Amino acid sequence: MQLKCSLKAALLGATLLATAGSAHAQNVTLRALMEDVPETQIIEKLLPEFEKETGIKVEFEKIGYGDMHDKLVAQLVSPESYYNVLEVDFLWAGEFPTAGWLENLNPYIAKSGFDLKPFIPSMLELLGQTKDATPILPMYNYSMGLIYRTDLLDDAKVKADYKAKTGKELALPKTLAEYVALSKFFKAGGSVVGAAMQAQRGDPNAMEFSNYLFSSGGAYLDAGRKVVLNSPEGLTALKLYADNVQNGAQQGALSATLDDTMRLMCAGKAFSMVTYWWMLPQLDSKEKCPEVAGKLALSVMPGGHGESGGWGWGIPKNTSDESKAAAWKFIEWVQGKKVSIARAMEGHAPVRSDVFEDAAVLKKYPFYKTGLDIVASGKSFPIFAYSAQYEDVLGAQLSLAAGGQAKPEDALKAAADGLTQLLAK
Amino acid sequence: MRVPAFADRDWRTGWAFAAPGLLTLAVVMGFPLVYAGLISLSSLTLLKPMLQPFVGLKNFATVMADPLFWSALWLTIKYSLVTVLGEFVVGLGIALMLNRTVTMKPVYFAVLTIPMAMSPVSVALIWRMLLQPNLGIANQVMESLGLPRIDWLGNADLALWTMAAIDIWQQTSFVVLILAAGLASLPRDPYEAAEVDGATPLQQFWYITLPMLRPVAAIAVIIQLINEFRTYDLPYILTKGGPGNATEVLSFFAYRRAFLGLSLNEGAAAAFVLLLIVLGLTILFFATLERRR
Repeated sequence: MQLKCSLKAALLGATLLATAGSAHAQNVTLRALMEDVPETQIIEKLLPEFEKETGIKVEFEKIGYGDMHDKLVAQLVSPESYYNVLEVDFLWAGEFPTAGWLENLNPYIAKSGFDLKPFIPSMLELLGQTKDATPILPMYNYSMGLIYRTDLLDDAKVKADYKAKTGKELALPKTLAEYVALSKFFKAGGSVVGAAMQAQRGDPNAMEFSNYLFSSGGAYLDAGRKVVLNSPEGLTALKLYADNVQNGAQQGALSATLDDTMRLMCAGKAFSMVTYWWMLPQLDSKEKCPEVAGKLALSVMPGGHGESGGWGWGIPKNTSDESKAAAWKFIEWVQGKKVSIARAMEGHAPVRSDVFEDAAVLKKYPFYKTGLDIVASGKSFPIFAYSAQYEDVLGAQLSLAAGGQAKPEDALKAAADGLTQLLAK
Repeated sequence: MRVPAFADRDWRTGWAFAAPGLLTLAVVMGFPLVYAGLISLSSLTLLKPMLQPFVGLKNFATVMADPLFWSALWLTIKYSLVTVLGEFVVGLGIALMLNRTVTMKPVYFAVLTIPMAMSPVSVALIWRMLLQPNLGIANQVMESLGLPRIDWLGNADLALWTMAAIDIWQQTSFVVLILAAGLASLPRDPYEAAEVDGATPLQQFWYITLPMLRPVAAIAVIIQLINEFRTYDLPYILTKGGPGNATEVLSFFAYRRAFLGLSLNEGAAAAFVLLLIVLGLTILFFATLERRR
């Protein structure tokens, strides 16, 4: 009798434990720290579908880019990360895997049979994919191009003024030097500034300058990863960058961030801005920016190459196995073709070529064709363990040169030396 | 059997009462300090989070070999002195006015406390919007007065002082509260005697108010000096240390080393230098105060 009771109790206990275990797996809540940008909002709108399909709840904590790195690092070095699915910038794609903070996604990809072929190879490479590991799966790209005002470029009076002052026909610039000259022309005219620039020290100016560098034919590293920043092309780029900050951009450009430039462009107070190509629908919107709606266009950076960047998804090592499984389920869902197309219809910047080529997407957004050109021609900031620190080192030198506190030659040399030192660290 | 003297018993009771507080202080303040000290002497980085090997004072040497460290230190000293002086002068002026005010005193105090009650991050964000060169209110007011627009935070010669002015705006209320409390507690007798002797209000302020207020003023100054040396929120939100290195104060330098450079050990070393300076200042200040007593 006693034995029977004990057996019954053990059975009941085991059943309860099993039920609790499975309930626990179903009740995983995924938490992600996300940059507060349109891409995040687009995914957020689709989250109820995922929750309905899988029973897994997803919570997004949205903050500005500048605060993300520190907040994530604090969690990744802790015994257990609060965030169990990660949004990872390409600038951290050297640091996070080197520090051993991310799971290799290859076993998850293999187990679930997820197809990586449609992903644009340069995006996978940008986010640290190697022969043996995929630490981050691309989420969206943020390659940069030029957004400009077509109404100002087509304005008869502006055209006549430009011809009178320069002897040339007013047209979309083909080189960086032409772009800066045009920007200065608009600012000198007084009604708008030539360029809304985000020249605040750090990520804003480092990203912006990279476009100038690549457009001038310069580079940070050569094929053998030797530092080649301090070159005639690099110097031309820095001189033109400083010239545009001082003579073509808005007052206060040296302390301006992306938000400031967006507000300025939205208010119709600037001719152009070098920015992420998918910002076009945000600005070209009657509801959000009536001053400039219908008057904007997108082009590849004058000179042919812009900065290419991207975000991806990662799974932190310091979370439970249930969380990791749920995180992969989410990543697989959100980057699958169906959801990627649904996101693209809302303005998502794709990382899959099949989404860029989708007829419905192209019909709704014809400028995605230019978007693909921008992504294809984009070049990358150096990615290594200290990329975030290098942004700061470079940013300080750019700020000194653009503010007239250092000669471009000296600032460029210091920026190149800083890169050499950090690569050797 | 020896009966403990009253003094002995008093001593024990004192320790018994103080023990919980001291223990909490040791855990909350002591442990992080000791741990940060160990980090500053180790090779620990965020990429290699191990306290070993012990590298002695190497991190301090590395940090001090960086010209930016000295530039940050000099900026911190300038910034702290200017903000504390500004807060003290403005704070004393307001406290003196409030001391003479009879009506609506609680209302004035409530209004004055508002900036102090706000978090520095909110203050920085609000001022960032107000001082936005193209769309901010400050420049629109300047323009309407026929004055030129100013690049408050983007001009390397101006950014640090703009930041100092914002800091003074926020922190002055704390100085006002302390000084107003000090003024209210001053005895009336010396003033009555001075009035009988025919002293002017300025003479009364100089020879009676200021000397008697010195201990309270010293407390206000030292607390604010420590606060200003640790300033981090304002440069982080307003300028990120720029333009160039124009607003890179020592705490921001330490942050950059630790979290952007991933060198927690060098960041801790820089923070310890900051701590030693503040500690030195505190000791010097109290020693001076004691000597003058």
